[in-house]
Amino acid sequence: MCFSRRALLGGLVAAGALASPPVARAKLFSVERRKSDFFTLPNGLQVVVLPSSRAPIVNQLVVYKVGSADEVYGKTGIAHFLEHMMFKGTGTVGPTEFSRTVSRNGGRDNAYTSFDTTGYYQTVAPDRLEMVMRMEADRMANLRITERELIPERQVVLEERRMRIENSPAALLGEAVQEQLYGRHEPYGMPISGYVDDVKKLNVHDLAAFYAKWYMPNNAIMIVAGDTTADQVRKLAEKHYGPIPSRKVDPRRRPGEGASDLPQRVMRADARVAESRWSRYYLAPSYHKGESQYAYALQVLARLMGGGETSRLWKALVVDRKMALAAWASYRPSSLGLTSFDLGVHPASGTPMVEIESAVGGLLGKLLDDGVTAEEVERAQNQLLAAAIYSQDSLQSGPRIYGGVLGVGGTVADIDAWPQRISAVTPAAVVAAARHVWRAGGLVTSVLTPQEGMR
Amino acid sequence: MSQLLRILAALVVAVALLPAAAGAVDIKAVTTPLGIKAWLVQDKSAPAVSLAFSFAGGTASDPAGQLGVTTLMATLLTDGAETLTSQAFRQRQEDAAASVGFSASLDRLGGRLRVLSANREEGFELLRLALTQPRFDADMIEQRRAQIIASINQSNQRPGSVAARTLMETEFAGHPYANNPDGTPDDLKKLTQQTLKLRAAALLIRTDLVVAAVGDIDETDLARLLDRAFGSLPVGTPPPLPPEWTPPTKARTVVVERPVPQSTALLALPGVARDDPDWYAALAMNHILGGGGQQSRLFNEVREKRGLAYSATSSLRVYKRAALLVMSTASANERIAEALRVVKGELARLRVDGPTEQELADAKTYLAGALALALDSSGAIAGLLHSMQVDGLAPDHLTKRAALIAAVKIDDVRRLARRLLRDEALTTVVVGKPVGVAPGP
Repeated sequence: MCFSRRALLGGLVAAGALASPPVARAKLFSVERRKSDFFTLPNGLQVVVLPSSRAPIVNQLVVYKVGSADEVYGKTGIAHFLEHMMFKGTGTVGPTEFSRTVSRNGGRDNAYTSFDTTGYYQTVAPDRLEMVMRMEADRMANLRITERELIPERQVVLEERRMRIENSPAALLGEAVQEQLYGRHEPYGMPISGYVDDVKKLNVHDLAAFYAKWYMPNNAIMIVAGDTTADQVRKLAEKHYGPIPSRKVDPRRRPGEGASDLPQRVMRADARVAESRWSRYYLAPSYHKGESQYAYALQVLARLMGGGETSRLWKALVVDRKMALAAWASYRPSSLGLTSFDLGVHPASGTPMVEIESAVGGLLGKLLDDGVTAEEVERAQNQLLAAAIYSQDSLQSGPRIYGGVLGVGGTVADIDAWPQRISAVTPAAVVAAARHVWRAGGLVTSVLTPQEGMR
Repeated sequence: MSQLLRILAALVVAVALLPAAAGAVDIKAVTTPLGIKAWLVQDKSAPAVSLAFSFAGGTASDPAGQLGVTTLMATLLTDGAETLTSQAFRQRQEDAAASVGFSASLDRLGGRLRVLSANREEGFELLRLALTQPRFDADMIEQRRAQIIASINQSNQRPGSVAARTLMETEFAGHPYANNPDGTPDDLKKLTQQTLKLRAAALLIRTDLVVAAVGDIDETDLARLLDRAFGSLPVGTPPPLPPEWTPPTKARTVVVERPVPQSTALLALPGVARDDPDWYAALAMNHILGGGGQQSRLFNEVREKRGLAYSATSSLRVYKRAALLVMSTASANERIAEALRVVKGELARLRVDGPTEQELADAKTYLAGALALALDSSGAIAGLLHSMQVDGLAPDHLTKRAALIAAVKIDDVRRLARRLLRDEALTTVVVGKPVGVAPGP
């Protein structure tokens, strides 16, 4: 099994993948849920319990409502660096002892940092749930950040960046796209892992200040899925997280507009590229920013436009015109700020970029002019719902869905209503959403080519 | 309200009423009226059925001059069948929220089916069509061929992929395991519809078929549907196994230059076969050396103490005719020599001193618990049941496994470490612009 301890989730890092379908975010198996599965401790910690007796394991995920987009220019990379330092011990747990203890007890743990949230999770046997809750609560309040641990970890953070970003032309181009779309030095315009110059300068005080500012029970959500009960989780949560005092937490800032009203273009010719890519990113509303009434129709639009091999883009460019080897669209609605609606094409050998761009433009125009059929919309809805059903098959995906929604201010009611809201999207709503997002401004076109330049 | 939403609403009630039964894995061995054998774990908490299966014969048995034929054929099995074009076949899957897929490893041609249990008739019908009536339409052959060649080209630029490929080519030089499972662009370009059809006919046989099923389906229903999907396949003779592999006896270092700031390194030693009496000692040794997570010696020495890399791991790889122990790390070009020195130092330390009693005890508790972690989804459970059968294990292995792990003694691991961790058998591959790493001999 591939070992990846610290996942840098988010943004355009995955833009080089052949297909990036929209992530269905729904909990569908227990709409008639018990109220006792959702509660908030007096100190403000939100708790979600997702019982499942499927396998003798439980999964705990603690999500903090803070991410790389809450950093400022000059101090970027703190959220991710701090995520690494969270494994370096407290007054009572030694450096690396957290993970060693989980492993010694037959479990696994990991963590991730995204633009809007930071998450820590463990999978263990049910009788070890108290152990991981005790340790997770401990590092919520008592993290000890020392110079001795920080110095070598800085190199680890920089090696992670080399591996994920600097060794990958597509990832480097993705960072340039983010900057053009959201703005230089704006929250989503800066890399999740931070600028190298910033990371090199971050010190113990910077990390400790960020920790003190954001890590507190009233800025966190604790989700437990698996072979346990709400009663059990409540007892353990009160015992271990309950004593941590709440503190005042600052509001988070996300701009209501993008970098530019003019279309932007980002190109990268790189000796390390064998296969070209054409991509287009439109600034788009999310559930929480911009014209959020379009957020559900945009999920249907992404699916019918570029979700798999029966989508409009694939059928036109790959099957009919044979000018591409793959084509896709994606849209991620669960973002605190604005998000993007993305289109991508892997051109067939010999197809000039200008033809790809013009063909995509034609398909977008055709959809706006002629609309979409009711049948297309229903198929896309069914695909979204099916993906959501299957996402319930894994114990880890449930907590991730709740963490992703609640971590940016969504509610359990939003998750419950997702299937109905997706099903309610009409053909006219899909076209209206497309018209809102596919406009002349607020877009970035990116082209990745081999060194010899544009073919 | 869409049809799926109605299914959802029905499921919600059904799931809410289920008793909180313990999640033990109860494996039933099923034999169908037509004689197809399968393992089943019935699990009503999932409204779906997951099937994992495989046929004997993988990419290592690709005939000379046809490298890549098995991978291309496997991809095309779901690109149209009988009267259905590729688009129509895909549409039928989407309408049933079903997915059928095939992929080939070095030793076997594998397949998967996932379908909502309410739509299982349609799911198994689509599987039958793919297995028995694949079309191999000319336009789909061209499309998939171009996609695979593009993927080979791009892999040849990704440092991790280049390192993985180079390791196989070096370690298995002269053996079919050295061949890229995706094939070569030259051979792929020569493959015809006829070659692909012949390859499908040669591999899709009932002899040595392995099947595992998990989900909301009972034995009778499963037997009936398996007979429908697989029943008309002929019996036959699977391709011969690749020849025995002779492990290298000289240390080698291969450097592949790539313009990247970070060098990726893989180190390989001959490993341990799945049926080796020391298999469980090997699991423990690998966990202590670089397996699993953040407790390992490689993690601690390379990453935690020195900050030389984000990742430093080891893993056991098992093939039908070979086994490897592979160490992996990546570090800035200027520091990769140091990282390699530390990794090699850890191999020597484990060989000379063996593990501590505490390390072995920790490894054993991890390995005992790790099995449950693998039961995360029905697809994962089906995969586990499938690989157990390929490995020749009995259904009761899951209950015996804990005792086998508990029985590992420190002397077993010491003996194994002396046997495996030998400098003279070490192959090192580095991809990047490493400073201070000399290729040779």
